[in-house]
Amino acid sequence: MRNGKKFIAATAAAATLVGMAACGNDANNAEANLGDADKAELVFWGWDSGNTMKDLIADFEEANPGITVKFNNTGTAADTSTALSNAIEAGNGAPDVVMLEDPTVTQFAVTGGLVSLKEFGAADLKDDYAAGPWNKLQYNGEPYALPIDSGPEMFFYNKAVFDKAGVDAESIETWDDYYEAAKKIRVTGSYITNMAGTENDYQPFTAQAWQAGAQPWKVDGENITINMHDEGMTKYVEFVQKLIDEDLVDTKTPNWSDDWNRELNDGTLASLTIGAWMPINLMNGAPDQAGNWRVRTLPQWNAGDEVSAEDGGSALAVVSQSKQQAAAYKFIEYLTHGDGADTMAATGTFPSLKRILSSDSFTDPDAEANKEVNEFFGGQNVNEVLAAAAQLPVTEFQYLPYNPFAQSSYGDQISKAYTGEITLEEAMANYAQALGDHGTQQGYTVTVE
Amino acid sequence: MTAQVQATTASRIPVNKHKRDWRGWKFMGPFAVVFVFVFIIPIVYAIYISFFKRQMIGGTKFVGVENYARLLTDTNFWQAVGRVAIFTCFQVPIMLFLSAAMALALDSMKLHGTKFFRIATFLPYAVPAVVSTMVWGFVYGAKYGLVGSLNDLLGTNIDVLEPNVLLASIANINTWEFTGYNMLIFYSALSTIPHSLYEAASIDGATEWDIVKKIKLPELKGSLAITVIFSIIGSFQLFNEPSVLQNMVPGNAITTYYTPNMYAYNLSFTGNQSNYAAALAIVMAIITMTIAYIVQLKSMKEQMK
Repeated sequence: MRNGKKFIAATAAAATLVGMAACGNDANNAEANLGDADKAELVFWGWDSGNTMKDLIADFEEANPGITVKFNNTGTAADTSTALSNAIEAGNGAPDVVMLEDPTVTQFAVTGGLVSLKEFGAADLKDDYAAGPWNKLQYNGEPYALPIDSGPEMFFYNKAVFDKAGVDAESIETWDDYYEAAKKIRVTGSYITNMAGTENDYQPFTAQAWQAGAQPWKVDGENITINMHDEGMTKYVEFVQKLIDEDLVDTKTPNWSDDWNRELNDGTLASLTIGAWMPINLMNGAPDQAGNWRVRTLPQWNAGDEVSAEDGGSALAVVSQSKQQAAAYKFIEYLTHGDGADTMAATGTFPSLKRILSSDSFTDPDAEANKEVNEFFGGQNVNEVLAAAAQLPVTEFQYLPYNPFAQSSYGDQISKAYTGEITLEEAMANYAQALGDHGTQQGYTVTVE
Repeated sequence: MTAQVQATTASRIPVNKHKRDWRGWKFMGPFAVVFVFVFIIPIVYAIYISFFKRQMIGGTKFVGVENYARLLTDTNFWQAVGRVAIFTCFQVPIMLFLSAAMALALDSMKLHGTKFFRIATFLPYAVPAVVSTMVWGFVYGAKYGLVGSLNDLLGTNIDVLEPNVLLASIANINTWEFTGYNMLIFYSALSTIPHSLYEAASIDGATEWDIVKKIKLPELKGSLAITVIFSIIGSFQLFNEPSVLQNMVPGNAITTYYTPNMYAYNLSFTGNQSNYAAALAIVMAIITMTIAYIVQLKSMKEQMK
């Protein structure tokens, strides 16, 4: 029996050592990982909201006969980034190409999970993309992903509900106008929108705070400054607190929940401030309101301003583990910059390429792809409004390098303000503390102001 | 030749002769390899990584017991432990009482349709927890769910997903899922009692209640220890139900550290702190084992009486 124990212990020790050796072998040989640019079997993880990946990949494979692409639908954006971080941690099993939400790109870039696309010449493409999405994908001045789409924050509203409340949404210019409209809509029993402070409300939060000129966090290399009460944040917090206190927003319905779709569909929720990629989701989620929805640029914090902000958006990146990086880059270039981008734009993806945004066909109301959307929006030329908003000036906004934590922690800390447990100002202070603690744990030098 | 002689001697006289004999290992070997790889190495590896810390800035370094020290003062963790402890204290007794009552009812042989009842109560156990939680989530919905319909009908404003009753609602899902399973364990214990015992008892003039009290309940004690331990371990590992409900519950009442398991999961996957999560997992394993051990000791003592 004694021998048995020794044997097991020895085997365990040996196996642990093998495991450690495998983990330690992280250093990538850049040359060897490039592979043959014309011959590869690529694995691609991502989601497929427009159901277009199959055709896109077929087109790409036709244009590049030596390369095959195997698409794995990895579910939602959160599932995909979880799966990727697992594979990176395990040291193998990661795909060659991965689709990520823009704000998560920096985290993977910092930890070495993605390769810089500069050596493939991606930096030269800068001026081809709208500034908003492009700026979010840079780390240390080098691009780590190419944007598939962009998401200028828009104001989507249900005209039928607004009419019932006697509000002309086209006259809403500022957030003060919006507040007055919210009061009138509440009288009819509907809510102007929902805000629940869950992790799914994090992106609209960053977009609105961003538009208000807030900089809740500033990242400078290894130094992070967190300030949840600068001028922009104060403006945002006071405004939202007013909406909560006067019961003008539905605080019980988180974005993307089943209830959310139902309330959009039955008119309980009269409007949304969300990214320009929303039309296709509205068409699926609120089919009963076909013809009633309209879209407009975001209300402004100061009358006369023209400030936009970005909400979401996704991008394609090449994973460090890949041994076929050259071919992988070819594929993402095709999808985001080449012919694939046109196909995607024609099937509902909101483009980030300037040449598509300003093309006649993109805003042509008679184009096949636009007809269905415009019909849902009561004949409005949707893409014209969206493309105009995408070209509006965007102030600089940074995401934290640990954005996934910032997002999940947002739900933990901020939802308490929406249930009335604490004020939003207090919740933001707690949130700042949680973000600061996490940053310190991750080795950053954090100042919480 | 000598080997053969030795072998025959050994087989004739099964006495351990303090001589190295590898024959046993030939039989044990395949199992031992699988056992080491599947059970021992993961545990050793988890303990090993729990002494490290990986940072976005600075990479991975050995930190000794720092993760454990941090865990001791982590209020999120202790809140989560407290939550599952409360959950266990209420949900387990209710569920096991229901299971025992059902098993006794089935075993009384005085009911019609026992076979159907047995299958029907066991069925929820066969439904994947994710699916049953989603079904319950839709039932619980205060706006569009069954609860919502009831509210419309009765003019009430009941919301079973409110933060202060949420834990009870989750307990209800768990009870629904596992009552049938525990019932089956109790039922099989009851069916081992020979029927002659009941006949003898009724000849001696025992009532049905006497039979339950004097024969059936004592027999259930043995399986009670098993079900209690299984249920405690299950409750401390609560994960599926709150995790699926998270997006269905208004107001984010289910935080990322609602239960210890959820906390570990979120630390690893959104927090980039799998080393800390490993330390958490080990502390949770120790806590659970300690509680299960105390329960077992206690029940063994009772059975000795």
